[in-house]
Amino acid sequence: MEKLVIGHFYPDLLNLYGDRGNVLALMRRAQLRGIEVEVKRISIGDELKSGDIDIGFIGGGQDSEQNIMADDMRIKKGPVIKQMIEDGVVFLTVCGGYQMLGQYYEEHDGKRIECLGAMPHYTKGEKERFINDTVYEIEIGGKKVTVAGFENHSGRTYLGEGEEPFMKVIKGHGNNGEDGLEGVRYKNTFGTYSHGSLLPKNPAITDMLLELALKRKYGADYELSELATETEDLARKQALDYINGNTNGITNDL
Amino acid sequence: MITKFLATAAARLTRLFLRIMGRGATTLPGRVALKICPSIISRCAKGKKIITITGTNGKTTTSHMIASMLRALGYEVVNNVSGANLPTGIATTFLCEKPSRGADPNKTVYVLETDEAAFARIAKDLQPKVCLVTNLFRDQLDRYGELTHTRDLIAKGIFETSAKMVLNADDSLVASMGKKHEDRATYFGIDLQTMLDSNRLHPNKSILEASMDASFCPDCNERYEYSARSFGHLGDYRCPKCGFKTPAKRFELSFDASGNPSAEGFEFNMTDNDNSKSVTMNLKIAGSHNLYNTCAAVSAVTKFLELDGESGEEDIFERACGAQRSVEAAFGRMEKIAVGNKYICILLVKNPVGLDRSLSFVAQSDDADSLMLMLNSNFADGKDVSWIWDVDFESKADELPQNIYVSGQRYGDMMLRVAYSGRTVDGYGSLEYATTLLKGALADCPEGKCIYILPNYTAMLDLRGRLVKELKLKDFWKN
Repeated sequence: MEKLVIGHFYPDLLNLYGDRGNVLALMRRAQLRGIEVEVKRISIGDELKSGDIDIGFIGGGQDSEQNIMADDMRIKKGPVIKQMIEDGVVFLTVCGGYQMLGQYYEEHDGKRIECLGAMPHYTKGEKERFINDTVYEIEIGGKKVTVAGFENHSGRTYLGEGEEPFMKVIKGHGNNGEDGLEGVRYKNTFGTYSHGSLLPKNPAITDMLLELALKRKYGADYELSELATETEDLARKQALDYINGNTNGITNDL
Repeated sequence: MITKFLATAAARLTRLFLRIMGRGATTLPGRVALKICPSIISRCAKGKKIITITGTNGKTTTSHMIASMLRALGYEVVNNVSGANLPTGIATTFLCEKPSRGADPNKTVYVLETDEAAFARIAKDLQPKVCLVTNLFRDQLDRYGELTHTRDLIAKGIFETSAKMVLNADDSLVASMGKKHEDRATYFGIDLQTMLDSNRLHPNKSILEASMDASFCPDCNERYEYSARSFGHLGDYRCPKCGFKTPAKRFELSFDASGNPSAEGFEFNMTDNDNSKSVTMNLKIAGSHNLYNTCAAVSAVTKFLELDGESGEEDIFERACGAQRSVEAAFGRMEKIAVGNKYICILLVKNPVGLDRSLSFVAQSDDADSLMLMLNSNFADGKDVSWIWDVDFESKADELPQNIYVSGQRYGDMMLRVAYSGRTVDGYGSLEYATTLLKGALADCPEGKCIYILPNYTAMLDLRGRLVKELKLKDFWKN
């Protein structure tokens, strides 16, 4: 039986806005396929070695909580995380986690906070926060998929050389409200501003991450088995209807 | 004086007008009065005996308990209507809710539930005798900002008064407000042995730990060490660096952890460690979180009675405990409504810890036939529904009622939340279908059993209207 190890980074500090839902979605869609899943909590003081995990998840936290873990991540775990990213380990990072992988975060008063520097993007803080429902589009396996989410961030992130956007913004602000791009992809590492939580309602992304991780572990010809997405699709469709203002009553007394 | 007079007159006229129009008038009169006379709150509060209740969860229930208890003890009590806990609501309370004619001003107490952020602004004006802080949990972070910030706001408010603080010792954020102010702080909480027994008898079944607040000491950035937990971040904690730990509690609640602490009538003990007195009591409002609320209410009332010149009397604590017998459920909170010989019970859930506690309560209720979850995402609810994923449904999924229904503007998100916990929903639909779903659930519900409905704020308001209009239930919620 295949086994997948999910590394949940700083779950006791970076756990805002339903980050837990992303880990749960990865767990659930792997387990339903008969894949054994282990979730490793990796926080301050915990040792991290390359090869420890197949998928890493880094969420966002309140400022005070990000201050607590910033040094541990940059100094203690930074070199290993960088190596993992270069080696193609799958990472999903949300909001603060996404920003932290980049070069720096510049606050609106000009103060600069050094980040991990694992990837070239950088972030500037602005006073106005983007807080709204979001709709994105992503192409997975040649198919265009509509994604529903929610963003809540004051940082404006700009991608650097060698970085691809994760998704295209259909509704909302995305990385910076200017270029219509949302998130980042670099090798197998993804960054996004989308909460919601992102993965449960968007199983195409969950499955893409699972497949990338399993192919990496079990060889390029590993194929993820089929798994229904009806419930998730229904939830996404309802959320999109709500976001698009199409709130006609729908019911299904099963 | 003239502006106060004008402001009062305007507020009362506004209220009269709103009442004639058939509208509730819990905040607008105060808004009008504050426009005319910005200092109206301090003018009204002057010389009055005031208890404030603030914190994330349990404000309404605890305020209601305190008001009932003080009434039973012979006080005239004026309190604000549930939810009217901003300056506008508090001004309305002062101007429009008068003590009954002939009430002794010396025996009149204002029991005011106060929003956490608003508290910092009006504590100075209120100059309360007792400030009770129930707990601090993540709420709608986009509205309130960071938890430590909320704590700092409340502390700032308290230190602009000479009030005594009654603080939840088991909540590290709340308890830290009493640091260096021990002469003003009184602590309450659950007895350590009770927590240890409870942890041993009910080990955590979580497959993925719930997101938790305040895991680290904000002064040292060290992770707290816990010897026992009650729920969320409440428990017996200690910072290994600075040594800050759960303060010694004057008021402690203990119970037999093998029982069901959620059940109405559940027996527990309240102890006053200052006077070595212990009283056996029964839970008047079901739900284990109401043990905390009861403990908080008894502590605040005892403290108030002491300050109110009754400190010579030895039996103050016992009298406060005795008065708790008069408590009944507040409107719309833990109140069972009979529909024929079946019941519905609405539990308002506004944030992750509230939903977590309510799910636990329903899972432990022996009369639960169905569960209906309702999720809206209007501004007052928080636009972001991600928080439902912070709640550990997984550990309770097996014990939830046989039938689960979901409704509200975001029923799709809630349906998926239930599905990912390993359960499937038996019916779903937007708000317009809430009563249809409910009728179906009632038809299938055995006699004597109950359908528990857990809506967030605007979903609850919507549901109340529909229950009256579409299910022809009596309007229970009009005061």
